[in-house]
Amino acid sequence: MTKWSLLASAVVMAAVSISISMSLSAQQSATGSWTQPKTPWGDPDLQGVWRYEAAVPLERPAQFQGRASLTDEEVAQRQKVEEEQEAQRLAGNEGTAVGRGNLAQSPIRGNEYNSFWQDHGRPRQVFKQTSLVVDPEDGRIPYTPDAKKAEARAQARYGAGPYESFLDPDTGERCLTDGVTAMMWQGPNGGHNRIVQSPGYVTILHEEYLDRRVIPVDGRKASGIRQWFGNAVGKWEGNTFVVETTNFIDRTNYEWAQILTRPSETLRLTERYTRTGPDTMDYRITVEDPASFEKPWTAQIPIARLPNDTQIYEYACHEGNYAMTNLLAGGRADAAKRGK
Amino acid sequence: MAAVVAAAGCTGQSTSEPGGSAAAYRAPRTADGKPDLNGIWQALNSANYDLRAHAARPALSLLPARGRSGVPGLVRATTVDLPDPAVRPLGAVGGVPAGEGVVVGGEIPYQPWAATRRQENAREWLKRDPEIKCFMPGVPRATYLPYPFQILQGTNKIVLAYEFAGATRTIHMDKVGDSPSPTWMGWSRGHWDGDTLVVEVTDFNEDTWFDRAGDFHSDQLKVTERYTPQSPYHLTYEATIEDPKVFTRPWTIRMPLYRRVEPDKQLLEYKCVEFVEELMYGHLGVIDPATGQRNK
Repeated sequence: MTKWSLLASAVVMAAVSISISMSLSAQQSATGSWTQPKTPWGDPDLQGVWRYEAAVPLERPAQFQGRASLTDEEVAQRQKVEEEQEAQRLAGNEGTAVGRGNLAQSPIRGNEYNSFWQDHGRPRQVFKQTSLVVDPEDGRIPYTPDAKKAEARAQARYGAGPYESFLDPDTGERCLTDGVTAMMWQGPNGGHNRIVQSPGYVTILHEEYLDRRVIPVDGRKASGIRQWFGNAVGKWEGNTFVVETTNFIDRTNYEWAQILTRPSETLRLTERYTRTGPDTMDYRITVEDPASFEKPWTAQIPIARLPNDTQIYEYACHEGNYAMTNLLAGGRADAAKRGK
Repeated sequence: MAAVVAAAGCTGQSTSEPGGSAAAYRAPRTADGKPDLNGIWQALNSANYDLRAHAARPALSLLPARGRSGVPGLVRATTVDLPDPAVRPLGAVGGVPAGEGVVVGGEIPYQPWAATRRQENAREWLKRDPEIKCFMPGVPRATYLPYPFQILQGTNKIVLAYEFAGATRTIHMDKVGDSPSPTWMGWSRGHWDGDTLVVEVTDFNEDTWFDRAGDFHSDQLKVTERYTPQSPYHLTYEATIEDPKVFTRPWTIRMPLYRRVEPDKQLLEYKCVEFVEELMYGHLGVIDPATGQRNK
């Protein structure tokens, strides 16, 4: 996870919990005027910069137990809250005024300072769904008991250490990656994804950590060489881009900001990218991994296309990782103070 | 795969040598009519060791030869330069292969202060070369590192995906604003000049090098690259380097790049951040993971 922000934007949003009356996709199809554009070589064209910027919690909050959708009144109310909070952000305000808790009650563990890191520059989109997770039906991620313990441990150590060696910060703090699972919906800080298509390939450039996936769409099979980002194999099902990714390397023993994104050798991701309008995409990801989850789970995630002039900038994380040196220096000072 | 099929289907013979005119060869076209450079490419030369013509040498980091002296063993002969102790165990694996050089005209026109700095860089290679730390390699060095890279031609952006460090460039074929800050990989604007992809690269920081011989630049660097198809299987890469802070005039490197033709060849990961953490941070923690011992 980035040094500057968020656990998961989804967790932040759990505290805020916003939605809307009508999904953007429903709005788009209601107009009936949009048809999926094609690339010059005839594939559905998904190119552009995409970002998750909706205000839907990843897992269903307890208050919405038993229902998948908000009422129209709830939607209207949350829309109003979002607009007010964005006005506060634009006015340069911080903390509770922009929907972030104070330090003590922060759902993102002390990182609510400097809200601009997480500012979309416009109100977050409100959707009707009460959680991104749509399967299982309860909207909760079916962690194994061990993974639940690992998640609790990850949260407890975040920002607290110990930092005895470079293996102690999480994979994001080490400038490696936060994993493929949340790449498309990681939130505002570095969460931009540029999709570029060429014959036989779909390439996704993710801003944070310079994560890059060059996904073959030419019928080849997975190479079998284990990688951090696995072996992604893509295909078109109508206008939907379907990607199956397997052959991840096992990094379950590393520190991960969120256990739900850690890869193991048994992780299998199935993603479905379906454009629903000029600026909207229905992104679904099914995550299977007996090392972390009791059964597969699926999230349905509305993502937005940003204006044409949006750029992905160079996220030179490792090259400027002063935080690593400072964390370790702090760890040593702390050990010295404790007489160890 | 359309690109590869199209390229393989073209039997046009190239009569031109790298750097010569490409008049004899016309590249296949993409569906939207642009020259098709899609594919995985790689340089096969020793430019990353040293851009200039150079003889083979025993190691990248050397101790200067000791002159003939009264010391027993050095009475009758002098040694060649000796590998630095830090790299000596690598033996022949750590040697530098010779190369004819890729600099057009042979010389890199350093200003006097910069020529001195280049020599210092070479002596301090082990401490200073950003490649060692898995930093983004910059341009043009990314092109001739000993790793493949892939050209992916989108409709208004071209992605250059490098295997080393997962470095990536986006070449803007459409009109874009300026880079908001200096960068490692530069800010790339491209256009077509006949069959040649021309890329103007600006907004560099001063932290990348050109090779393992200490060749360097400042933040005033501007690189103009030309990728010219010569046959289905190779293209000519040319980069003109301008930097008024470091050089007395613009200069150019030129080399062929070869298509990786293995079936289903893919870029694989070389996420080297993980490989250099011990080197960069092992001594900083409470515990050094290499030894399990406490650092002093």
